[in-house]
Formats: sequence, C-alpha cells, structure tokens
Amino acid sequence: MYLDKTIVELHNLLVKKEVTPYELAQEAIENAKNDSNNAFETICEQEALDFAKTLIEPEKDNLFWGIPYVAKDNYSTKGILTTGSSDILKDYVPVFDATVIKKLKEKKAVLIGKTTLDELAMGGSGTTSHKGKTYNPYDKTHTYIIGGSSCGSAASLASGIVPFALGSDTGDSVRKPASYAGLVGFKPTWGRISRYGLFPFAPSLDHVAYFTRSVEDAAIALEILQGHDELDMTSSLKEQCNYFKDLNKDIKGMKIAYIKEIVESVKDKVIIEQFEKTLNILKELGAEVNQVSMDKKLLTAIFGTYYVISCAEATSNNANLDGIKFGLREGNEKTYQEVMFKARTKGFGEFIKRRFIIGSYSLFKENQEELFLRAQKARRKIVNEINKILQNYDLIYLPALGSVRNPFESNVDKLEPNYLIAENHLAIANFAGLPSLTLPIGIDKDFPFGANFLGRAFEEQKVFNVAYALESKLEFKNITAKKVNG
Amino acid sequence: MELEAVIGIEIHVEMKTKTKMFSSSSNVFGADTNTKVSPLDMAFPGTLPVVNKQAVINAIRVCSALHMDIDHELWFDRKNYFYSDLPKGYQITQQRRPIGSNGYVEILCDNSMKKIHIERLHMEEDTCKQIHYADCTLLDYNRAGTPLLEIVSLPEIHNGEEAMKYVDAIRRIVVYSNVSDGKMEEGSLRCDVNISLKEKGQDKLGTKVEIKNLNSLANVEKAINFEIKRQSELIMNNLPVEQETRRFDETHKETVLMRKKTDAVDYKYFTEPNIPPIKLSDEFINDAIKSCPELADVKYERYVKAGLSSQEAYQLLQDKDLSSYYDSCLQYNPKLAKQIWNFLVVDISSYLNKRGETFALFTLKAENIVKLLSIIDKGDISYAQGRKVFEKMCEKELDPNIIVESLNLKQNSNTEEIKAMCLEVIANNNQSVIDYKAGKDRAMSYLVGQVMKTSKGKANPQIVAKLVKEILDSK
Amino acid sequence: MKEINETLLKECAHNLMFDMKEEEYQTLLNEFHIVQEQLSMIGEIDGLDQEEPMTFPFDCAISYLREDEEKENLTREEALKNAKDVFAGQIKLPKVVG
Repeated sequence: MYLDKTIVELHNLLVKKEVTPYELAQEAIENAKNDSNNAFETICEQEALDFAKTLIEPEKDNLFWGIPYVAKDNYSTKGILTTGSSDILKDYVPVFDATVIKKLKEKKAVLIGKTTLDELAMGGSGTTSHKGKTYNPYDKTHTYIIGGSSCGSAASLASGIVPFALGSDTGDSVRKPASYAGLVGFKPTWGRISRYGLFPFAPSLDHVAYFTRSVEDAAIALEILQGHDELDMTSSLKEQCNYFKDLNKDIKGMKIAYIKEIVESVKDKVIIEQFEKTLNILKELGAEVNQVSMDKKLLTAIFGTYYVISCAEATSNNANLDGIKFGLREGNEKTYQEVMFKARTKGFGEFIKRRFIIGSYSLFKENQEELFLRAQKARRKIVNEINKILQNYDLIYLPALGSVRNPFESNVDKLEPNYLIAENHLAIANFAGLPSLTLPIGIDKDFPFGANFLGRAFEEQKVFNVAYALESKLEFKNITAKKVNG
Repeated sequence: MELEAVIGIEIHVEMKTKTKMFSSSSNVFGADTNTKVSPLDMAFPGTLPVVNKQAVINAIRVCSALHMDIDHELWFDRKNYFYSDLPKGYQITQQRRPIGSNGYVEILCDNSMKKIHIERLHMEEDTCKQIHYADCTLLDYNRAGTPLLEIVSLPEIHNGEEAMKYVDAIRRIVVYSNVSDGKMEEGSLRCDVNISLKEKGQDKLGTKVEIKNLNSLANVEKAINFEIKRQSELIMNNLPVEQETRRFDETHKETVLMRKKTDAVDYKYFTEPNIPPIKLSDEFINDAIKSCPELADVKYERYVKAGLSSQEAYQLLQDKDLSSYYDSCLQYNPKLAKQIWNFLVVDISSYLNKRGETFALFTLKAENIVKLLSIIDKGDISYAQGRKVFEKMCEKELDPNIIVESLNLKQNSNTEEIKAMCLEVIANNNQSVIDYKAGKDRAMSYLVGQVMKTSKGKANPQIVAKLVKEILDSK
Repeated sequence: MKEINETLLKECAHNLMFDMKEEEYQTLLNEFHIVQEQLSMIGEIDGLDQEEPMTFPFDCAISYLREDEEKENLTREEALKNAKDVFAGQIKLPKVVG
C-alpha cells in the first residue's frame, strides 16, 4: 500500500526505486476498481499500464515522475472517453488533450482514470452525474454529500486511490468538496493555468483546480501546470514561480483578515471553535490577524449573482452539444432540428436543463438589464469590496462552509441569509479570479471540515506559505477516510 | 405621390488570411472536404478562440480606407442561435464594439461625388458549408471559422446604380488592400440589401424588405430596380408591402419571396468571456495602415498622372491582376504608360481571352514586354510585327531583341536607303504618278505597298509613306 | 421583464432545442421565482446601477495577437471520428430547408 502517501513521499520512494511507476499504477487501478463511492467514469487500465511500463529511470528533479493521478471527466483526453458525466457525451472520444493533461503527460504522471462530476460541472452536490450520486468516503452510510461538482476526484483522494486529482472550480467545485473530504483543494488566479481542453461551464468564472493531500503537493502541482498557453488567450503571461522551492513557513508580519459577517453565518459551532483555534495559531506564528466587516447585502447577493452569470454563460457554452459533430444522435431524424432536439432532450439531465433555461432567459434582450447585467454589476461591486480588503491585508481567512456535513436529502432553506452567505462565499474567489485554498482544520465525529485562504491575484505563494505554516501546526496533513475512520 | 427608395447594404467579406479567424487551421479555398479544420472549428468541448493578427490588420486597413474611427481596444461578443451550419451554437462577432465605426466611401454619380456613410465594420467568423442534395445535406467544416468583415452602410442609397457603385467601391477596397478576393460569384463578397420606400420629403419609412444572395454587381442593380418597381406598384395600388426576405431570380430578372419575417430573433448577445480585451497601440494601427498595399483610388491618381485618360485608368482597375501587371511594366519605363496600357488591355487581353486565361496566371516577364514595346516605339519593328514577336515570346520566353533578330524583322529606318527605293519604284510606275496627280488616293497606297515589297517588308512604313508623298508632290 | 409562466418557459426550452418533463416546468417556475427574488434584492444594493457590468475578474487586457501561421489541422478521420452519420467525407444531416 503506497497510494495513501503524498506526492513528495512517493517521489522519494520512486527515486530510491523502492517502488516503480508500474507498481503504483497497478495499485491505483486496483484501488479504482474497488472504489465504492461511484467516483469513476472510466478507468484507463491499459493506457496507464502501458505508459507506466515505459517509465524506467527515475527523474530526480521531476516530482510528478511516475505519480498516478485522476482527472475530472470534463478534461479533454485524446483517445480516452470524456463524458462530462452527461449522456449527451456518453460516447465522446476527444481527438486532443487538454493543455494540463498534456503537461502532466510530459511530466510522466500516469493518468489512471476519469472521475465523475455533477453533469457538465453544473452543480455542487455530486448528485447529478449521469451515473448517479458520488459518495463521501468518510460516510459509509451514504447519507452525506461529498460536494461537487468535482465529486469523483475528491472521493479518489479521500479514499487513497491516488495522491493527485484534477478538478475544476467555477463557484467552489473543488474547494467545497475539499472541505467535506478532508483535502487540500486549490484554485489559482484566473489565467494562471490554461483552460484549453477543460469543458467550459462559465469561462469568466472557470478555473483549472485540483486536489492534493498536502500543501506541498499543491505547490508542486502549480509549478508544473502554470504558464501561458497560446491556445488560451486568457492565460496569463505573468512570470512563472517556484512555488515548492519557495515554500516558507515563516509568516511573521503577514496580515490576515477574516470577515465578521461570514464567520457569523456559519451554522456548526464546532467549525467556529476550531476556526478560532486556528486564528490563534496564525497569531502565534506571527501573523497579524484582524476582523473586518462587509456589507451583508452584498454577501447575500453572491448566490444570485453567481447563479445568473454562470447559467447564462453555460447555456451558450453548451450550445455546441447538438448531436451533429459529436455526441448523442440516435438516427432516423427527419430534420436537423429533430437531430438537435432529440440529442438535447435525451442527453441533458433535467437539472441542467433548468439552468440553461434560466441562463437563456437572463440573456434575452428585454431581461438582460434586470438579470444578466445586474448580476455582472453586483459581481463588480463584490469584487471591489474584496479587493479593498486585500489592499490592507495579504490574505482573507474563513471557514470554508457553514456545516461539517450536508445530507443528500435536506430540508434547509437555501435562501435563508446565513445559509446563503456561509455556503456560497467561496464563489467570491471566482468572481475576482483570486487564488484560493481550502485545507482541513478539524474533524467532527469522523467527518473532516476545512477552512479557506483567499489571496491577491497572482500571489499564490503567500497562500501556499500560510497554509503550509498552519498545516504544520495541525494534524490533518495527508488524511484519508481510512486513516481517520479505520 | 412621388416615392423614394431608402437602401442600406450589409456586405460580408471573406478574408484571404492563411488561417481562420480564431484558430490556426488553414483558410484555403477548395480543399478536400473536412481536411482544413481545427478542434475549434468542430466546436469540440474545451477549445478556445485565439484572434488572428492578420485578420485584425486587414480590418484596420479597410477601416482606414473607409475613413472610419478605429477602436483601440478589441472586444468580441457571442451571437447565440441554433442552426445546422453553426458549429458552436453561437457566432463570435463584434456586436457592441465594432473595430470600425463612422466612416464613408465616395462614389461617382451623375458626374459628382456622393458620400455614402458607413455605420460600422466588424470582424466575425463564417459558418460551415452546407451542400444540399435531394434527400440530405452534407456539411463541410473547411469554411467554418473563415474570417469575415461585415460592413454596414447607413440607409443613404437611393437606387440600383448607386447601390452597385457602392458595392463596387467596397469591393475595390478589399481587393486592392489584399484583404479578399472580392469575388461575388464565389461568395467571397456577399451582400444583403435592405430596401424600403417612402414618400419624398417625408421621414416615415415604409416596410423594410431584405434581398439576399446577390451574386454579381449587375444583379445588385437589377434586383434593386426591380424591387423599387414592385414596391411602388404595391403602394400605388394601396396594397401592403410585407416584411420579408427575397432573393433575386436571375432567369426571370425579378426578386422572389424566400421567407416572411416573423419576430426578430433574439440573439442573446453577451461579451465573449474567452477573449480578453485586446489593446491595439497607435504604432500597430499605423503600421497596418502604412504597410497596406496601394488602394485603387491612389492607383487611379497615379495612372492619370502618368498620362492615362480617366477611362483608361478606370478600366485597368477593374482587374487587379491586370493593374498589378501594368504597375510592374510601368516601373521599367514610365514614359510608355500609354503604349503599355494599349498592349496589355488590347493585345495581351485578347490573347488571354482566346485561351480562357487571365492575368493572374500570366507569366511573361514585365521587363520583356516593356523591351518589346520600346523596340516598337523606336520604330525598329512595326506594331503588327510586335504582335508576332509577342506570340513567339508566349511560346518560349526569350528577350524580344533576340526574337526580332532571329526573325530578321528589324525595320529599315534609314531615310537615304528608303528614299532610293522610293525613287526607283516611282520611276517604274508612271501610271500611278499620273493617277495620283489626278487625285486618286489609291495610287499613293499602291506605291507605298510596292516600296514595302521591295524592302521585303522591312522599311519603316511611316517613313516610306512620308517620302513617297514628298517625291510625288515635288513632281 | 416578461411575466413568467409555464408556457413561456416551454417556449424558452424549445428555443434551446430541448424539452423537459412536464413536472420539471413547475420546479423551474419555483426556481425562477427564487432567482427573480434574489435579483430584485440585488437591485436594491446602493449604487449598483453606477457599476459597470463585469465580464472579466480583473483587468486582463492583452496586447498580442496570434500570428497568421497554419498549425492545427486535424485529419479528416479525426475531425469526423465522433460524428454519427458521415457520408463521402462529410457529416450527413436530413435535408436542411430554409
């Protein structure tokens, strides 16, 4: 059993030749086949083993050499089925690799499988995949959600199948499941990593994001994934950084803010208690920690703002799914309209159809001012407020979510103001395109929960450093469901 | 009631860049189906648009030629609708901030220049090509993503002739700036006409009718004139003009109904989030304009200065390949402007016509054509002989001097020698001298002919004619 | 803004080239009311109308363009690999009219 180790630990074993990439790939595939959380769309057994077999001489300076990983099934993988967890793409085999997949391949990381997601990444519960619910490995009763949309990737890490998983994050789709699954979930600045090959949900909010089980591993991953890509005009030309080498636990003098209204909106006391404990740790480490305040009206507006913008962009992004060039087409249609109509009616789940309608409606000429443009204005207002705080502080630190657990069947009022704030504030990082990292800070009755750091644009290093420092003072580095619950 | 037509024209121009508007697959015309496509052209999930620099340069050049304000920041929008030829389910265009706005073009109407104002020019992408068969439609994605310019005039055009001249003016600009082939018959320049009638002197417009698929300049004029007549008759008979889209039927020379217009489609425009705002520096814009190939109106001025008549200059400009060949010739000897014009437009053109060829593929060196014309100009060979030399050159390209030499064509322009021949011929043809004196002109031609014969055709005919006349008159 | 009802929503769905189960329209109607409520609340935020709508998360303007050089042609096989109905190197559709 190797794969409950971190990338750094595995790398050391690989370099010492105590284990080979082939053995790791075999173990990961075995783990994936035994997965009981419905985390996989596809297991690429043959491809993974064939590739791992070619990896003979360890590359000392390449920490991803021979490391098995999984990717959310909304990354285009050449020659490997990529469904977006939607029936409309249930037999789509891309002819090109996403840029991040290509980069991982170049680093000789071994793709083990493609993981489930909320259909086309539109959702936060991990329940709307065409394969049904994905479960939280921490919950053998299958009562509580793991969160989405990157549910399968989160489950793969929490159950120790692999040490690294690509996800994507449009509202909180990596950082939310990271909290429920005891993981480090990270999204960098918008533009830091190329989105080429990531199925778009809402491009102005979409980020390549990922899960690891340690902050070090998260820093390593950004080093290899970062950089401008000529296939993505929104990918930044900013200088690339050595996040891993420059990791530093010394956070003396770092200025950290927490937002009063968000902390107060958290429902579970255990989260607040543990969060306050971590505030003290940060202070002990020499950081200057202060409470700041933000207009509650703006905070309760996050959800509506997010919903309208993301649905509007999504309805357009998914208009290419019409059964003509690829995807579901049954045949015997009489008109091209029928081709489209059948593909889209049968291919999309009802949940995302509703979102498409809401998005489309928000874009109609006569509604745009009151819906789409209003949401875009609110976005700016929220972003301006957050950036004002970040003018005086290096980072914002907050509980990731309002509760430790969230059952599949829930009667909570999703429009109750505290719920609106606590369960949606992570989307601020998407509105503003800022780097954001969730890491586990506590365990309550066998369920982990996380807190989140939000940094300034392109200042990922600070986010890593402070998370690294905090992680070292807690006992939740590299936890898995098995380690915690036996 | 006197009626007046109000006409606005939308022109789509396919650019002849090397690659597509937003992807780097080839933008070549006529390739095997579906062999010039990128993942983006097929709208595969995860692909992203990347703006083609040359397309932007082209847009700037046309904006400049149309005296437009050029936006220093590029923004793109999505136009959302479903159609079988639209791969992404939306078209990337520039709805809110077109690169060019507020320009004009001048056309010559009734001997005076008229300004037609242009509201906007923007960049967008073409759809895939549909080929319709009896029982199915086949899709070729080679055309998907071809860069387009859309140029929208204000409704300031009032008849078919103005419309035709407007389209021709735009066509010349895009052709001479090397932006497009501008071939209406091949669809690389397409125009849609909006036309409504109003009472003269009144502001209130009648119902707008759109005419699509006009595939030649002549058809633009004919279609509009027909449509004006059709709508006028409806109005005069108190019948309603329906809001509809019509096309021009070439065989019957009339516009026919394509479809009635229902409610305008809501395209749900919004800013394209995958293309960040692109700043264009003054330097970039100025370079694009400065390096633009010479435009037709500049060429026109230059030709007139070189000595061509307005009509001649205009005729050259109708064919860009001809005009550019003319320019190549002109640089070897600007003094021969007229002679070159004549030889290219009359002789070479008819040679090419006979073979169904054009100047585009004409390979003889301009330098050699000019050499030949210089030889003619010096009087070393006659024009008729020059044509023969040209034909030899077409068989095998050699320096015309060598051909003249080998055919032994060089004319004799030695006055003394010719005079001797003239005296001899006249002395031997007394009757002709008498006829000439009696006023019979034919006698003179006969004598000149005889001298030419004696010289074996090599005597310079002008000199012969001059000398024969002198001798006869002195008798 | 138009009054929202099931007929309108159905029209929207058809406009997007799909249909939903009947009961979904009621669910959607409820969701719509939530969205509208949210957005009208957002409309009350002070000074909102003075804000410029935001598309990009921050100023990300660039000043470069792609060179016009041919790069990524797919083969025909790749281009058409995922299409269900292919004939003579092209994607086949029922005859498109109008």
